[in-house]
Amino acid sequence: MGDILGLVVKRLGLGLIILLVISVIIFFMVELLPGDIAQAVLGQGATPENLAALRKEMGLDQPALVRYLHWLAGAVTLDFGNSIVTGASVAETIGERFANTLFLAAYAAAIAVPISIVLGVLVALLRNSIFDRVANVATLTSISSPEFFLGYILILYLAVKTGMFPAIASLSNDMSFGDLLYRTFLPALTLVLVVTAHMMRMTRAAIINLLASPYIEMARLKGAPPWKVIVKHALPNAWAPIINVVALNLAYLITGVVLVEVVFVYPGIGQALVDAVSKRDFPVVQACCLIFAATFILLNLAADVGSILTNPRLRHPK
Amino acid sequence: MSLFVIAYYTLLLGASCLAAYFNKRSAFLLLFSLTLVSFVLGIIGGVSALRIVAILAGLLALSAMVSYAFREFLIAIASKNLAKELRTAPLTAAFGMFVIFTVAVAGIFAPLIAPHGEAEVITSAFAPADANMLLGADQLGRDIFSRLVYGARNTVALALAGTVMAFLLGALAGLMAATSGGWFDQFLARTSDVIMSIPSLIFALLMLSIFGGDLANDTTSFWLLSAFTGITGLLLVSAIAERSVIAWVIGLAVLAGVAALFGGLMLTIFNPSEIILILVVAVIYSPRVFRLTRAVAGNVVVMDYIEAAKLRGERKWYLIRREILPNSTAPLIAEFGLEFCFVFLLIAGLSFLGLGIQPPTADWGSMVRENATLISFGDITPLIPAAAIALLTVAVNFVVDWMLYRSSGLKV
Repeated sequence: MGDILGLVVKRLGLGLIILLVISVIIFFMVELLPGDIAQAVLGQGATPENLAALRKEMGLDQPALVRYLHWLAGAVTLDFGNSIVTGASVAETIGERFANTLFLAAYAAAIAVPISIVLGVLVALLRNSIFDRVANVATLTSISSPEFFLGYILILYLAVKTGMFPAIASLSNDMSFGDLLYRTFLPALTLVLVVTAHMMRMTRAAIINLLASPYIEMARLKGAPPWKVIVKHALPNAWAPIINVVALNLAYLITGVVLVEVVFVYPGIGQALVDAVSKRDFPVVQACCLIFAATFILLNLAADVGSILTNPRLRHPK
Repeated sequence: MSLFVIAYYTLLLGASCLAAYFNKRSAFLLLFSLTLVSFVLGIIGGVSALRIVAILAGLLALSAMVSYAFREFLIAIASKNLAKELRTAPLTAAFGMFVIFTVAVAGIFAPLIAPHGEAEVITSAFAPADANMLLGADQLGRDIFSRLVYGARNTVALALAGTVMAFLLGALAGLMAATSGGWFDQFLARTSDVIMSIPSLIFALLMLSIFGGDLANDTTSFWLLSAFTGITGLLLVSAIAERSVIAWVIGLAVLAGVAALFGGLMLTIFNPSEIILILVVAVIYSPRVFRLTRAVAGNVVVMDYIEAAKLRGERKWYLIRREILPNSTAPLIAEFGLEFCFVFLLIAGLSFLGLGIQPPTADWGSMVRENATLISFGDITPLIPAAAIALLTVAVNFVVDWMLYRSSGLKV
């Protein structure tokens, strides 16, 4: 077991280092601005007094490294400073929105993961049949469509024409859980369509790879029944690639969510990021980017660790 | 029971019986499962659902016929070797080539095809379609069909420029890393790891928030572009010149000239904010190209014939050009197609968010956003540019799929 623990700790450390480097990139990218943030906020027509006052307020009179460390220390305790545009605390503005986004992503994942794994395994077993080919074309089409295309199609047919679901996902605090699921069904379905296609293709590839290995051939040759070949020989080795596929696609969900939130006017962090970018509200942009990047890295780490833990060769070292 | 429903089931059942009789197993399975699904759909959705199925099947049959004819056409005009390759193309790949061909024609001859100008206001807002305007007018009264045709030019040109730049930088760096090894290789690999661990859309938004606004002017974009060209060029020069001082001097002089010329040329084609967009995309996607190239080239570098060439005293540039590249063209071309899809979708997404290509330039992504209000009136107009984006991406993916299948020899 010691080997595995070492490997996991190593991966976690690597993830932490990458996150640190990314925080450096996110922070110092804004420093690239000619002049500084104060100049960018107030524009060309700012008086020197205004500039000086704003610089003082934002602590821009200190060297960049000090400010970075200050920002990083704040970020660790979830304090991202104040928004330039509204002056409100960034953490408060995006905190609730982040929870909403996580809810949407989890909702989509809860539907997409079981469906796509079952379908992916099925398609892999039926490979080169007509169903496999139809599934191939269908998933390729779904992957190639931009999220807003799928989203608007769903709005048009399920909301406007038939009126089965609301087109705009407005949330309020006193909604029951069932109501919440109903109201956010369309954005979740859009994400499901995109992610299922990805996951199905990746699961199919992983399983086909596996079925081509010699020990599966051996199991078949010794006369094991097909279900036993799958359950006893293929599945234990398939967990690692499948966990990998799931985690990678959850990471993908996190980015796909931005476009979907805008289409459905969903009050999530993606929408906050887009608004902040067009208003050039840098503290919010930095905070959102850091949160997205951290989630992305965390999920990738989970994929790595998961595939280490489920690898029978690592669990039972010689 | 209307006549349509009777004809629908007769046709389906007749076709599946024929397929079964002629032992076309897969066609029979498809047709008969469609029949079974139609029973359910007909009960739930009524005649209109069956009508949609019939229309979809008709469209599918039409595109299959077009693809078949287009493939035969290509085979007829291609040279003997190329024709042999083309014969192996599945219908999906032929369909992809047809769509790419159509978009290319629309983009190149846009001013001739489009009946109206790109930003020309010809009627009132959201005017319905008539003989003059095939698809009606948009929110400012501009002809949507004309904007769609111009959009093919603007969006695709931008995505293509971004892909080419990402590809040049990524592929050159990958080849250099694979042939040089050592700290250079490690440095590039770790850098690309970091860039790839930020989600692409998020990184694009971060960079656009900084380089947007006042910074999107001629001077800044020219210098940023020159810096990018310079880095790409430096890799090329270092590969060719190696340790010869004279070659370095000549190379750097040529590079400076080329970079300036290229920057000027790009500025006449694109406006500054578009150049920033191209650079953002190139920075985000070059690590992906780098990683693949490095892996592919890394597999070639360890071959015996490379060892032999090294012992012959061949230079690095010769190794790259004559030994490594010819042995890694197929995956690289497929990668180019895939990267194009990613870049195209990213740019369309950014434009949809209002942060990519700026109005009044016609562009498919922003056209969806501008006309999105029509959706709530049950109008499909905003879906047309979105469908165009999806269609082109699917088309490229189909062609790439075929190439990958051929190059990998995956005959599972």
